[in-house]
Amino acid sequence: MISYHPDSRFLTDFASANLPLSEAVCVSAHLEFCGKCRAHVQQLADIGGHLLSRLQPETLEPDSFERLMGRIDAQEVPGVKRDTTVEQATTGAKQSASAVLSAASHSRTESPRGGAVVALPRALHRLTQGGVQNLRWVQLGKALRVAPLHIDEDVRETAIYDIKAGGKMPEHEHRGEEITVLLRGSFSDAEGSYSRGDFLVRNAGEAHQPMATQDMDCLCLVSLERPVRPRSWLYRLLEPFVQHQLHKVATR
Amino acid sequence: MTKLQELNLRSGLSLEPDPWAPAIRSVAQSGDRQAFQKLYAHFAPLIKAFLAKGMGPHMDRSAAEEMAQEVMLKVWRKAESFNGSKASVNTWIFTIARNTRIDFIRRSQRTDRTIDIEDIWHEADSPEPLVELQQRRVEAIVRRSLDTLPPEQALVLEKAFIESLSHNEIAEELDLPLGTVKSRIRLALNKLQILIDR
Repeated sequence: MISYHPDSRFLTDFASANLPLSEAVCVSAHLEFCGKCRAHVQQLADIGGHLLSRLQPETLEPDSFERLMGRIDAQEVPGVKRDTTVEQATTGAKQSASAVLSAASHSRTESPRGGAVVALPRALHRLTQGGVQNLRWVQLGKALRVAPLHIDEDVRETAIYDIKAGGKMPEHEHRGEEITVLLRGSFSDAEGSYSRGDFLVRNAGEAHQPMATQDMDCLCLVSLERPVRPRSWLYRLLEPFVQHQLHKVATR
Repeated sequence: MTKLQELNLRSGLSLEPDPWAPAIRSVAQSGDRQAFQKLYAHFAPLIKAFLAKGMGPHMDRSAAEEMAQEVMLKVWRKAESFNGSKASVNTWIFTIARNTRIDFIRRSQRTDRTIDIEDIWHEADSPEPLVELQQRRVEAIVRRSLDTLPPEQALVLEKAFIESLSHNEIAEELDLPLGTVKSRIRLALNKLQILIDR
């Protein structure tokens, strides 16, 4: 049961396509789990559709339509009008959704660490070359490994976190907004417990220490406004090293 | 009983048929060029206006013409994926124009293409079958209620969906606190019966 959703600002900025990519990837991943938010995004797009239909039309160039038909004729075999990419994309999305669903019922032994293929939301396919097993992981302590995702023009940092069942993340405080989308498993912190599909936002200044539940590894998509600073002196010492490692992987 | 009559009966609302859906279906089924020309004559000038307004420095008028053609080319090619029970033609074309616009902006920034825009912003996102009725009902309400919004609420929606500004950018442009922009948009959404809990 999904209990945490993007708010009206995220959904509106998403539906109007004004959300920076890293955040848009997070919202898109949540939508794959959440029919209610998908419906909202569709309704928001209706606003766009109706506003579009009310615009003052711009005059077209006189031969506008003929030029387009000329392009179509040059590209298409007469009588064959098939956009195979649409069909492929649709089947791809269906496959990924069902793969994610089946991944949820996997037991601990078939965890990503065990090498089983775990499919990711469609928004992550290209970024991850198809699956968790293809990511470049950086091991941070026993319980946590992180795979940075390279989302080009973004000022945010995007990554997938894999927390071992029962494992704790170092307690950390946020210097900027952090979005977490739970892709698999569940975790809890002092504020509550979260399950697959949940979309969580933590603001600057909030500190927390997430812990994965005992029965399953936890996989999260994380988008950070700025690097998170761990509280303990040990991690603070580690941080330059960690940043260096992440940077190396991200730019490789 | 047609699907639409059934919907009307169950919702107690009279949902008008989508005037453009038959033309799209005709393009999908038989590559009907006459139907497509009608769609073109209606939508291409609107799309051109949308792109001219929403792309700011990225776009001049002749580029807007080219892009409008690009959008209509996609309409021609993707007509088969149109599903009238999930979205109106207006909405569907808006999502294609919106995606073409961000794709163009990204390309003009010469970013490497680790992301395909359509993997994030799906053109035919389907809600659960159960909510489709609700979907069509809300669409009818959106259509009817847009004109009744107070000007300051209509303005922020126009800025977001047509001029393509985020909440933050609207706040900056109108010199308003972010919270005010957010609450204006929420008030507008409530009036349109798009009831987002948060």
